[in-house]
Amino acid sequence: MTGTPAPVGPPGLTRRRALTAALASGAAVLGAGTLSGCGSAQAADASTVRLWDLFSGADGGLLNDMVRAAAPDMPGTHIERTVLEWGTPYYTKLAMASVGGRGPDVAVSHMSRLAGYAPTGLLDPWDLDLLAEYGIRREDFTDAVWARTQYRGHTYAVPLDTHPFIVFFHPGPAAKAGLLTKDGTLDAEAFSSPDRFLAAGKELARASGKQGIAFGYVTDTAQGWRLFYGLYKQTGGAFELPEGGPAKVDVDRMTEVIAFMAKLVDGKVNPGRLDYAAAIAAFANRQTAMILSGEWELGTYRAADPKVSAAPFPTVFGTPAIYADSHSFVLPHHPDPDPERRRRTHRAVAALLKAGQIWATAGHIPAYGPVTRTAAYHRLEPQSHYAQAQNHVVLDPTAWFAGAGSDFQNAMSQVLQQALLDGLAPDRAARAMVRRLNTFLSKPSPA
Amino acid sequence: MTSTELHVNTAPAAQAAGPIRELNITRRARGGRTNLTLGENRVSRVLALGALAVLALVWVLPASWALLTAFKSEADASDPAHWFWPRHGFTLHGFSTVWERGDLPLWMLNSLLISAAVTVITVLVSAMAGYAFSRTRFPGRRPLFVLTVAAVLVPPQILIVPWFQQMLTLHLLDTYAAVILPQTVAPVMVFILKKHFDSLPGELEEAARIDGAGHWRIFWSVLLPLSRPMLAAVGIFVFIGAWNNFLWPFVSTSDPALMTLPVGITSVKDAYGIQYAQTMASAVLAALPLVVVFVFFQRHIVKSVATTGLGGQ
Amino acid sequence: MSSPHAAPRPGATPVRRAVPPGLLFALPFLVLFAVFMVWPLVQGLWMSLTDASLSAHDPSFVGFDNFTEAFQDAEMWRALGHTVLFTLISTVPLVLVALVMALLVHTGLPGQWVWRLAFFAPYLLPVGVVSLLWMWLYQPDLGLYNHLLDVVGLGQVAWLSDESVAMWAMALTTLWWTVGFNFLLYLAALQAVPDHLYEAAALDGAGAWRRLWSITLPQLSRITMVITVLQILASLKVFDQIYLLTKGGPNGSTRPVVEYVYDVGFTGYRLGYASAISYVFFALVLIASAAQYAALRRREK
Repeated sequence: MTGTPAPVGPPGLTRRRALTAALASGAAVLGAGTLSGCGSAQAADASTVRLWDLFSGADGGLLNDMVRAAAPDMPGTHIERTVLEWGTPYYTKLAMASVGGRGPDVAVSHMSRLAGYAPTGLLDPWDLDLLAEYGIRREDFTDAVWARTQYRGHTYAVPLDTHPFIVFFHPGPAAKAGLLTKDGTLDAEAFSSPDRFLAAGKELARASGKQGIAFGYVTDTAQGWRLFYGLYKQTGGAFELPEGGPAKVDVDRMTEVIAFMAKLVDGKVNPGRLDYAAAIAAFANRQTAMILSGEWELGTYRAADPKVSAAPFPTVFGTPAIYADSHSFVLPHHPDPDPERRRRTHRAVAALLKAGQIWATAGHIPAYGPVTRTAAYHRLEPQSHYAQAQNHVVLDPTAWFAGAGSDFQNAMSQVLQQALLDGLAPDRAARAMVRRLNTFLSKPSPA
Repeated sequence: MTSTELHVNTAPAAQAAGPIRELNITRRARGGRTNLTLGENRVSRVLALGALAVLALVWVLPASWALLTAFKSEADASDPAHWFWPRHGFTLHGFSTVWERGDLPLWMLNSLLISAAVTVITVLVSAMAGYAFSRTRFPGRRPLFVLTVAAVLVPPQILIVPWFQQMLTLHLLDTYAAVILPQTVAPVMVFILKKHFDSLPGELEEAARIDGAGHWRIFWSVLLPLSRPMLAAVGIFVFIGAWNNFLWPFVSTSDPALMTLPVGITSVKDAYGIQYAQTMASAVLAALPLVVVFVFFQRHIVKSVATTGLGGQ
Repeated sequence: MSSPHAAPRPGATPVRRAVPPGLLFALPFLVLFAVFMVWPLVQGLWMSLTDASLSAHDPSFVGFDNFTEAFQDAEMWRALGHTVLFTLISTVPLVLVALVMALLVHTGLPGQWVWRLAFFAPYLLPVGVVSLLWMWLYQPDLGLYNHLLDVVGLGQVAWLSDESVAMWAMALTTLWWTVGFNFLLYLAALQAVPDHLYEAAALDGAGAWRRLWSITLPQLSRITMVITVLQILASLKVFDQIYLLTKGGPNGSTRPVVEYVYDVGFTGYRLGYASAISYVFFALVLIASAAQYAALRRREK
């Protein structure tokens, strides 16, 4: 943490705000008719940019550092953070605030949620000229990431990072198992088919003396889906979700992937019934030599093993594809936005992107290219080992009901859990997933 | 919503018509009552006292645990090896941190102002309506009263969606008005107050009328002063309900600066992750106002719940 | 009526005479009632017949499609089932424990003030506090209850993440939180039991148990009925503590119907469909009320 006094603060910290609230409520007691505009969000200081995000813990601390680092880039502007509970509640609140027209100036959103926001009028597009004025251009982002920011020719998201689902491993047992190349990176060849992957798990178990690969999914609302969808996209199978349905998917390939996942969590070579926290604990305590995990847990693993290493998720089914999502900045809809405020918001976001090196220490791959091209970034290990993952990222299918923290991910993960934990046959699980998919598709789109 | 929801319903109340029961808790019949219920038997007294003590312990334990945690350091709070007594002693750090963060006092202020506004409006408006239904005649009085009583059956939960739509249409989302106004409609309080006015003797009113007092003066200067205990009971009940209400304030506000206490402390997170001691410190601070009020006004609150809680039977 | 004071007051304007004063008194309430109760009820019904959504598009009329969908929606039935289950497993202890508490306190044993505070104070806590507190109590590794289970040598329980436990944990939390309310109602009823009944029993030589069974409990049967009715209606509306503690999880195994309305309407954007489910829930509440009313009537006869 930097030592300078920070222009970072939660809402309500300022005396003026408390006073505004007091006066507004005083008015409320006196008469209901006078208070429609009082205490509204837009009454905040003129120099403030109000940011909503869902980063708590290590990420939350880093974002505070970024806000401090970005301060010199945006003189006179003060970012006021509000951290809300991650997941579904966050997106529900964001939608409700946007529809009410008194939302924050800018919010963090997973890019996978854009399909449920941009077409429904809950977001306003970014002004690319304005961003360019502050040094942020389209060329600064990879195509795979940028493509997902677009809706009807407008840019609705400015990506902050890519956060792929990757593998972490303890270098000691991995080397002992003969799974590392000469330069110490993971030998992707050894994981390049379902059988090889499972065999590598055995080697890792032997080398660790305990178990091989940890994967936490029990009662989790997303993990099963993350692993499944990345692997499924590696098979090259179609996954199209036309409005109204039915889903165009390849049930055989889905079955193949689910069968592989079930074999992986066999309960012998690899632990069988771990939830998210238990899997992290198993890997951190060296019960296993490897874990399938989002890169965002890097800090946790490094605290347990300073030498912990990582690699992009291996290509098991032929086509390179790595499940990921991207934190991005979005503009909640305002019926009548103040141009000055919008300009300040663009400037603040540009300043935050440029402070992306700080963000990278958490494990995330900064989306803003100039950051990942620096020597400082290349010195970051193991981050630089998996940075190339962003060339093959696969985000959730583009559907209004999909994306991070969605009911859809939860529903898919539940079916997968039945296959992995309760012995539901892979082909039946695949068909159950398709049925659930079609249920989602049959619901009218809010757009 | 089991608690914040006012437990009121006139169907059983209408059935079980009877005099208003008041808790006579000042009754100094301690020994006498014990003799009446338990007899002279020492064993049964000891058993009863033991059972009471165990039950009270079980009930006090959760809150004591929260207090204990709130006074620990973060390191001690998350140390499973020393889960009960902290290794490094007690500290006020959790309290000072959450207080200085500034949003907790703001939410308290919001809760206080919103609950006060809801209480003042509800009591005044319901008392006026209760008076109108009880002491005046006007066309449509009966059907309107029947409609009011029937509305007691409507659970506020089913109105959340239309209220939200309504506030959206009126451009009131994320304002104090949106939080306050729907909470001020309390048919059951109208019903209770109407019954109460029915029970007041008519002579005083007659005398005032003969003195030339109009309806407003009779209501304001004669009946309301007579009704102070009842108004206090209703007011306390409404205030507790508003102070603890969650669902509607949760749906109608997304701006943290407008949130009430229960909504704020559960929606807004700390950027540095879950800090158990701080979380418990904020829970303790949030619990404090009403518990302190209860300690001082126990008699009134107990009476309020006992008389108002059954829908005024 | 020869008194001069009885004449109409000179200040009364024609307007005030045109509008009956009673109506003027009722007006503020009636306006609020119309705007925030009647209108929303009608609007909710209308919305349930449209595909109204949280997004910007204009709703269109869809007839009874939402209701047809709701009746075939397995998740809705599941959520209704959870609501009913919660009502069952919360109402029974909430009535019985409250009764036991009140009986014990009513004996007049020393420490009245303390007992009342201990049992009733949780009721005064905002649900936000209750949920933070119980989240901490139920915490698997650090929470009080698992530590206590450890101390007595029992295994740890995944209070909030085990599907077979979570709903019971919700009922337990609710019991702790709200039993004080029923306790007070019982206490008030107990104090209305006339002393002479006990005195007569004492003369007959009845012991404490006999007095309890033949005097106290029969005297409480009517209030028990009323408390049970109120509790059922309150439990059916459960949302807050479940939403805050489990978000309806794990795997939707505790999600009550009110949360389903919230999830469908605000998380899923489908306000129209959420309105339809609200009305299905309303029907459930009305049926429960009617059944209880009928039961009370039969009993009174």
